[in-house]
Amino acid sequence: MQKGNDNMLIPSLETDTQEIESVVSLSQKNNVATKKKAPNCECAIVKSENFSFYYGSKAGVKDISMEIYPCSVTAIIGPSGCGKSTFLRSINRINDLIPHTHIDGKLFVNGHNVYDKNTNLVNLRQQVGMVFQKPNPFPKNIFDNVAYGPRLQGVKNRSSLQQVVESSLKAAALWDEVKDDLKKSALALSGGQQQRLCIARALATRPNIILMDEPCSALDPIATGKIEDLIDKLQNDYTIVIVTHNMQQAARVSKRTAFFCLGELIEYDSTVKIFRNPGKKQTEDYVTGRFG
Amino acid sequence: MRHIIRRITDKAFTILTGTSVVLLTSVLLIILGPMVWRGAKAVIFKDTIEFRKMQLDLYNRGNSEALKIETSETESFRRTVYKIVDDFKHGIDTEELIDKSKQIYRQFGKELRYRGITGKQYQKIRSLARDLRGRLQAAFESNDKKIIKENIDYVLQYRKNKYFVDTTAAEFFTLAEDFYKTIENIDLNKRQEYTASLQQIEEVIFQLLGPRPDEPLPALTMERYGATRWDLAQKLLDNLLWSQQWIQQEAGQPLTKIRVSRAEQFAGTKLEPLFGYVENNLAKMLKPEYTFYWQYFIDDSTPGHYFGGVGPEILGTLLLTLLAMLFVFPLGVISAAYLVECASDNIAVRIIRMCINTLAGVPSIVFGLFGLAFFVLFFIPLFGGPSKPCILAASMTLAVLTLPVMIRASEEAIRSVPQTYKEASLGLGASRFRTFVKVTLPAALPGILTGVILSISRVAGETAPILFTGAVALGPLPKSLFDPTRTLSYGSYDIAVGDRLAMMVPHNQYGMVVTLVLLILSLNAIAIVLRARVFRRLRGE
Ligand SMILES: Nc1ncnc2c1ncn2[C@@H]1O[C@H](COP(=O)(O)OP(=O)(O)OP(=O)(O)O)[C@@H](O)[C@H]1O
Ligand SMILES: [Mg+2]
Repeated sequence: MQKGNDNMLIPSLETDTQEIESVVSLSQKNNVATKKKAPNCECAIVKSENFSFYYGSKAGVKDISMEIYPCSVTAIIGPSGCGKSTFLRSINRINDLIPHTHIDGKLFVNGHNVYDKNTNLVNLRQQVGMVFQKPNPFPKNIFDNVAYGPRLQGVKNRSSLQQVVESSLKAAALWDEVKDDLKKSALALSGGQQQRLCIARALATRPNIILMDEPCSALDPIATGKIEDLIDKLQNDYTIVIVTHNMQQAARVSKRTAFFCLGELIEYDSTVKIFRNPGKKQTEDYVTGRFG
Repeated sequence: MRHIIRRITDKAFTILTGTSVVLLTSVLLIILGPMVWRGAKAVIFKDTIEFRKMQLDLYNRGNSEALKIETSETESFRRTVYKIVDDFKHGIDTEELIDKSKQIYRQFGKELRYRGITGKQYQKIRSLARDLRGRLQAAFESNDKKIIKENIDYVLQYRKNKYFVDTTAAEFFTLAEDFYKTIENIDLNKRQEYTASLQQIEEVIFQLLGPRPDEPLPALTMERYGATRWDLAQKLLDNLLWSQQWIQQEAGQPLTKIRVSRAEQFAGTKLEPLFGYVENNLAKMLKPEYTFYWQYFIDDSTPGHYFGGVGPEILGTLLLTLLAMLFVFPLGVISAAYLVECASDNIAVRIIRMCINTLAGVPSIVFGLFGLAFFVLFFIPLFGGPSKPCILAASMTLAVLTLPVMIRASEEAIRSVPQTYKEASLGLGASRFRTFVKVTLPAALPGILTGVILSISRVAGETAPILFTGAVALGPLPKSLFDPTRTLSYGSYDIAVGDRLAMMVPHNQYGMVVTLVLLILSLNAIAIVLRARVFRRLRGE
């Protein structure tokens, strides 16, 4: 996403909104709509080549090579401490915040090596949105939370901000619950609402890729269900990478699943294959709950 | 069994913490109570008519008609006091007596010239008058009652002389008689002592009642009014009734102070009734009344803390504090931001951190000297400002003084902002600067305001740092930031070191201290309310 795009933001946003809405309404009418395939989905949007990430001298992930395909949901599963978060957070380089870390190998997003010296972090992170394990809305009101990203991109006009906020909240299936009081503090929302707000906030910057690190781990089953529905709807327009500890969730929402263990990628294949017919013993043990 | 023990220890813990809280509170009250009590006397006290006169003259407050009536009521009592003093004084003050006799002689000489008498007669009467004057002088100057009596008798034998009757010279005889009556029952050897004591008495009376009605108004405002406060009047009354003397009880021993009753000292003289009279009629001469002098907080002090209030001191303290906050707030926050967000953990940063911690423990007088050397003599002149103590220099010094507190509090506040906020902001594509300004700083603001509260408390009460950099005890209101100012802290210090002043205006000293405490409390209250509001806004309530 280059600078020139900013000027085109407002008109293109409207078409986006319409798209999202049409998808949402379609999927409401017909569950099969989610199976719809967007074009050019066969070349990888995120690609890692022998990627390793080190905390000091200790490796968080080692030698990961995998390709993530656009307009689909990719799940990452694995036991605690195996480097799922580390890998996910390497994609938008949010791990840079941690001191004394370094990487090895290559990681491409949209064909650019993100660990290149001249990577524009701002652009990268606008392309790659992130939703964290714990809902972390800013201590601001709902409107300002969602408008944070567009404002960063230079949108000042009140009515266009309003439009982005509305469409993002609708896309995140939160609009109906909060439309009467957008000035309410985000911290006054329930945990599930907060998490959907965080998703809306991520959507508002119009990323291509959304990284979700255990987005439902702090939520009850009903809120989880809502988020899962949402992910289902979003995958038509966004590439989603989701880390989860919940096997059913991975099976329900994802098209492909990667299994990590001890910092290494053990197996990466279609979700159906991983859960029905895993190629490795380790994977089988894990998905059947015999891991230990 | 274990259950019971646990309950007992829990109870004991509650009781222990409860008592310590009660203990602390009571200690605080014991310390603060008397101070507040005394400070309150600056505002609520028994004033005197002198106070009301001053209020009318200086600030045009009060009812001039009522005051006039009151003044005339007091006057008759005051007149008696003056009369007693004057009578005694006329009898004892040698120089004054001699002057008077000379005056009479001169006046009489002038009169003689227009009497239509022969030159020879003129010469004769004149030389007789000269003789009488000489005798009187001899009597006045003598300490020997026998000589005095001889001379006085000599003078008095001319009482019926036809040349003197109904002339000015007749005053010779009243003078002689008065004098004789006065000294009749006093020890003439004590004359010197009397004169000295009388001087003190007159001074105390002057302080009590102000200038006499027939005297011209003194040039100094301070001397135009008597005791303006009843408590001060009573102190002065004590000075009037008792004199203090240093005596040596035994050879080689240090001197000890004793109180001597002046009534006894002057027993038998014409002055003796004065003491009882003043003691009994002081209230009638001063008309004390309870007053609520809230203007204490806005009035200027006239002259040098004797009367009036602490308006300029409050203003100066506020100005210095707020200005210092203005300097220290951005500086502290930026430094803290650097230390938390940008600085890596290397030797240089560790040294900086150590310096900040050390700075927090440096005595404030050191900052005072630093301020003098750096801001007053170097920094402000560097930008073309005057090289003298001024508000700007003082507030900068105070800012430096409190910088460590501010940095530490801000650092703590910024550090305690959840990492997830920063991650969320950065994840949305915000730059680090943007993230700091838009997310971290607002979230840290309550903690930073705590730093401000701590800094205000420190800054507003400091004396040493402004001693050489911008505080004065007296002087006009500052017209610009390049003028020095009065402050509450420095004012009370100044009163404390001027011992005579501290004795005369204890109410003002305590009043300043209590005002300072109140000022700091209210500044803190404002900051606390502000912090609560920021907090609520963050929570979105
Ligand atoms: N900030 C850090 N500093 C040092 N080591 C870290 C840090 N964060 C993670 N690690 C280490 O890296 C490894 C991978 O951690 P990571 O958080 O990626 O695991 P995870 O798969 O996300 O686990 P979980 O399922 O519990 O979230 C762990 O062994 C952990 O100890
Ligand atoms: Mg994790």
